[in-house]
Amino acid sequence: MAFYRGEQGSVKFDDAGSANTTIASTRAWSMTIEKDVLETTVLGATYKANIGGLVAGSGSVELIYSASSADETNAFIKAANTVTDQGAATFELFLDTTGTKKISFAGLITSADYSATVGELEVITCNFVTTGTITTSI
Amino acid sequence: MAALDLNAIRAVVEGRLATELAIAPVIPVVFHNMAYTPTPGSTWAQCSVSFGANNYMTMGSTAGASNSVIGVIVVNIFSAKGVGPGANLTVGKRVRDLYNRIVVSGVRFDPPTGPEVVATPSPEGYFQTQVRMTFETFEDL
Repeated sequence: MAFYRGEQGSVKFDDAGSANTTIASTRAWSMTIEKDVLETTVLGATYKANIGGLVAGSGSVELIYSASSADETNAFIKAANTVTDQGAATFELFLDTTGTKKISFAGLITSADYSATVGELEVITCNFVTTGTITTSI
Repeated sequence: MAALDLNAIRAVVEGRLATELAIAPVIPVVFHNMAYTPTPGSTWAQCSVSFGANNYMTMGSTAGASNSVIGVIVVNIFSAKGVGPGANLTVGKRVRDLYNRIVVSGVRFDPPTGPEVVATPSPEGYFQTQVRMTFETFEDL
């Protein structure tokens, strides 16, 4: 049975939504896909019934600050501080190094936590939400 | 981007100490796995560099990824017995100042510990203190 470790993952991003490139120094990512639940229980029923509603995703990417500017990393860590955001940015969250197992979607970065602590690496955590289709090729 | 050259890091660490202690007043210094017979009652130093924990820093495989490599420098300072700690601590300050929070060639030295007095000197017949510093370097694959 194949198992995977976190270091096999990676994140690609493009703020313009055209050609995703790898975000440098990514340390972790996480994503939650949620579905609205609509209750369809009828009068007289003994058990509740539900159907699925709209689907949306949200998550975060944690990276070590490296002042990288030759790729999309700089745009990624600054994306939360943009005045107009149409949600055109594209994301790919990879689960393995072959590049075939991934979650891809368009979305926007909603917040970024920047931190510096004496004796520790400087870490930035960017939180995102999806907009539109989420493709889970996993 | 390449795997770390451990001897290059060792050269950074040892080279700084050798250069400093070659400045008057000159203090003989001996490094790991080297024979040395000290002159009784003299002041001298012994330096050892060891590599320890290696940790994942970022995602990625053997390319485009980074590791953290931690190491420790231990410098034993020996001086004449029965004449107080002053001469020994003077050398200890030189050693401490040499690495304290300094970044050289990508090697980051943490604040030193010591000079701490060693209760049972080895070899015997000296007053011994010890300065220890951890260091960290990043391996970019």
